[in-house]
Amino acid sequence: MPVLAKARSFLRNLFLSRRVEVDLDKEVHSHLELLIAENIRAGMPPTEAQRVARIELGGIEQVKELVREERMGDWLHSVISDCRYGIRQLHKNPGFTVVATLTLALGVGANTTIFSMVNALVLRPLPVPDPQQIVVLAFQQGNGGVGHQFSVPEYRDIASQTSDAFSGVFGYWFGIDGLSINGRADRILTNYVTGSFFSTLGIKPLLGRFVVPGEGETPNADAVIVLSYEYWRARFDSDPSIVGRKVLVDGKPVIVIGVTPKEFYGISTPLNIQAYLPLGMLTLEGNAPDFMQNRTLRSMSVGARLLPGRTVAQSGAALAMVGHRMAQQYPAEEKETRLMALPELRARPDPDPNNTMLLISGLFLGLVAMILLLACLNVANILVVRATIREGEMAIRAALGAGRTRLIRQLLTESILLALIGAAAGLVLGRWVNYMISSVDLHTDLLVRLDFPVDWRVFAYTLGAALLTGMIVGVVPAFRASRTDVNTLLHQAGRGMLSGKRRLRSSLVVAQVAGSLVLLIIAGLFVRSLKIAQRSDLGFDPQHVVDISMDPGEIGYNEAQGLAFYKTLLDRARSLPGVEHAGLTSSIPLSYYGDADSLTIEGYHPDAGQRQPRAMFSVITPEYLDTLRIPLVSGRSFTEADRANSPYVAIINQTMAQRYWPNQDPLGGHFRMGRDPKRSIEVVGVAKNSRVTGVTGDIVPNFYVPVEQHYASGLTSLQTLVVRVNGNPAATVPELEGVVRSLAPDLPAFDAQPMLRAIDTLNGLLIFQFGAVLVGTLGGLGLVLSIVGVYGVLSYSVSQRRREIGIRIALGAPAASILTKVLREGALLVGIGLAIGIACALVASKVVESFLTVSPSDPVTYVSVTAVLTAAALAACYVPARRATKVDPIVALRYE
Amino acid sequence: MLILKSLVAGEIHGLGISRRIQQITSGTFVIKPGSLFPALHRMEEEGWISSFWGDSENNRRAKYYRLSKAGRKQLEVETERWGRVSWAIAQALEAS
Repeated sequence: MPVLAKARSFLRNLFLSRRVEVDLDKEVHSHLELLIAENIRAGMPPTEAQRVARIELGGIEQVKELVREERMGDWLHSVISDCRYGIRQLHKNPGFTVVATLTLALGVGANTTIFSMVNALVLRPLPVPDPQQIVVLAFQQGNGGVGHQFSVPEYRDIASQTSDAFSGVFGYWFGIDGLSINGRADRILTNYVTGSFFSTLGIKPLLGRFVVPGEGETPNADAVIVLSYEYWRARFDSDPSIVGRKVLVDGKPVIVIGVTPKEFYGISTPLNIQAYLPLGMLTLEGNAPDFMQNRTLRSMSVGARLLPGRTVAQSGAALAMVGHRMAQQYPAEEKETRLMALPELRARPDPDPNNTMLLISGLFLGLVAMILLLACLNVANILVVRATIREGEMAIRAALGAGRTRLIRQLLTESILLALIGAAAGLVLGRWVNYMISSVDLHTDLLVRLDFPVDWRVFAYTLGAALLTGMIVGVVPAFRASRTDVNTLLHQAGRGMLSGKRRLRSSLVVAQVAGSLVLLIIAGLFVRSLKIAQRSDLGFDPQHVVDISMDPGEIGYNEAQGLAFYKTLLDRARSLPGVEHAGLTSSIPLSYYGDADSLTIEGYHPDAGQRQPRAMFSVITPEYLDTLRIPLVSGRSFTEADRANSPYVAIINQTMAQRYWPNQDPLGGHFRMGRDPKRSIEVVGVAKNSRVTGVTGDIVPNFYVPVEQHYASGLTSLQTLVVRVNGNPAATVPELEGVVRSLAPDLPAFDAQPMLRAIDTLNGLLIFQFGAVLVGTLGGLGLVLSIVGVYGVLSYSVSQRRREIGIRIALGAPAASILTKVLREGALLVGIGLAIGIACALVASKVVESFLTVSPSDPVTYVSVTAVLTAAALAACYVPARRATKVDPIVALRYE
Repeated sequence: MLILKSLVAGEIHGLGISRRIQQITSGTFVIKPGSLFPALHRMEEEGWISSFWGDSENNRRAKYYRLSKAGRKQLEVETERWGRVSWAIAQALEAS
């Protein structure tokens, strides 16, 4: 019975609230009447009886309110009525609502945008069972840099000796291949995987089967391919009969055996892998058949799954043992090798213990949190003003029996409601910005997945931000409003106590100015870096150069056919009108891919603890250096005489010459590459340094080898045709595409674009542009918010002091002195804000130091940004100050 | 407990309850409406008492309260608990 009664009362309170109210009202009134009747019976005169009865009752409405608070479901009831009342309030003040909602929407939207990106890049676990068990391996030799890629023999050592730490170890090798069916070829990003890849990840195929353990161990065996869901849908229209079909990969027949699940994009966030082949099929790409045995051909990423219940740290012991054994067994190749494992989430994009991704993510989240804080401060400001206006209302509520907590709760409900509306708008805004970012042209056809889905994390984050915003925005005004003393207020008719409130509002302004200055300075540093990077000497001349890339291996050409194709291509390109030079290279500078190899240099012995020599390299044709105007410092260029059967030669850059032939003439020196240790290569020339990996930082060792001697020494037989024209490079693009098509109709040619665009990558200038635009937008937002804040506070203060100003004017104060007085007040706030802001910026900018080409305390940026902000803030002060001088003393004194 | 006890004798209205308590405790407890009504409503929601509208002695409409089965049980429980507590306090005071 009691449970039933409770439920009944709860429902009745909720749905029949009117009847319950009427009942309560009647009951209290009848009680009063009974009391009066009793008093009359006791002999009191009627008026006296009524007075005594009312005193005993103690206020009809208060008693009713006390009963209401006892009711079951009262909290729910009051939340609903608070919301209803809040909506009515917002509806009644559309101007306030729109301004506050927009302000909060900007703040929340910026947060949603950044958080979605951070979420997709570093927070979302892989879509595999128990993703927290997946680790990525890396190694370090001596004190050298951290290596992310292993050779196949190293992988085998690790896999066979770590069964006490890992339940499985897998490896994968990136490939770019041509997949063709019915005469149409696509260029796809692939992973050549060990048989343990899918079984260790523990995912199930959507269709057919995966590459299984045992497959992929023999070169050129198991000609099978697994397609990604997305590629299967896009290319094969989700055709379920695809399993068992034959396709051509790099011109050789391969059987489709399966399709991955929908949410699986490979494990190399943010890359989007389109197909998986067994490791042994690397022969498709023209790799030397010894890739399975060559211990220094390090191109394989290695991952593992921890045994259940083991931690990453616990696997360290097993890995240390393997590394130690490897170093003992192969003293030449594995000198001082130390292995390490990193959780997959900490290994994006590369397994590096000094991963800056988290730091950057944290920085950006901090910056946008600041924006949200600025937005909150503005809205809080407006609410404080409104609270003053509503003091009368609050006093009446208190008089009618609303408790203090009840009042705070109602005001908080209102501000949280406001924040939720703002957040909803912000979420939409954030989605739109994310969409814009996803469609940023990264100037490559390579498939990078810049897709930032809204999942529960993004949603929870936004909701959390909204609730927090509502609290921050509402809590101070709510507490202030609820503290009002009923009596004084009802008598005073709404002239609040000002000084305390002004101090609060002033500190809000100081915080806003400081916050926006930090944002603007960081934005300014990015912009300055961009300007400097744009003017910096790249060491090559990208003006008037066109690029177009292709890999004849993708349609099955062998080395002889490929070289013949390239020769004709160069001849045809040179015969085009306006073409000055044409050359080939396996990778263009500042692009997304390039080759590197470890070297053995004759006469150079690294000191103990020093890393084995390593350098970037490009496979080129003789005219390439002329095309990019990279001059030789000494020695000769390649010639037609440098052929496959003549001595192997190389041209090295200045850094490589200085590092590995210190204080001697490198010409005539010899070295060997890790992937082809049998051949000795002679240095025949030294080229001037040019930028290869990025526009900032030190220039790394780099060398060039002729394509005739190294047809597929790069990742693949891929080559980029670079052509210097004396006209508009963009106009030459279609002509070059036409040439390639006429020579090999099936061959996919890609990244056909002027070189200025091609080097505008995340390695090149794009990162600065990205940073400048992103932080610049945030800084601009911050500026607007703080200007509005300064303006708001000062005009409020002026309007509150009309009387005082009126008296001053009446007593003969000149307009100028009023103006300076108000301006001085504003300038003081702005000044304090600027000082705090500069101090904070000096600390915050250290975090982005690695992205900058200027010092993080670059005086030009600091001075100019501070000047801009000061000017804007003072302009915002001037308007209310000017208004203050216009105060009519008569009106001001008569007011109130 | 006192409210429940006051209802054992029969159904009465709010003022009646307050007067009866005053009477049976010889004026020690005077329950003001501000405490009485919230308590009555809570007990009604707990299902210990039920209410209906009736006519008072001098023909006024008033809300009457009646003890329910659950309320009787609750009274026993509370009486027993109170007995224990007061006995314990009495013991404690005598002890020294």
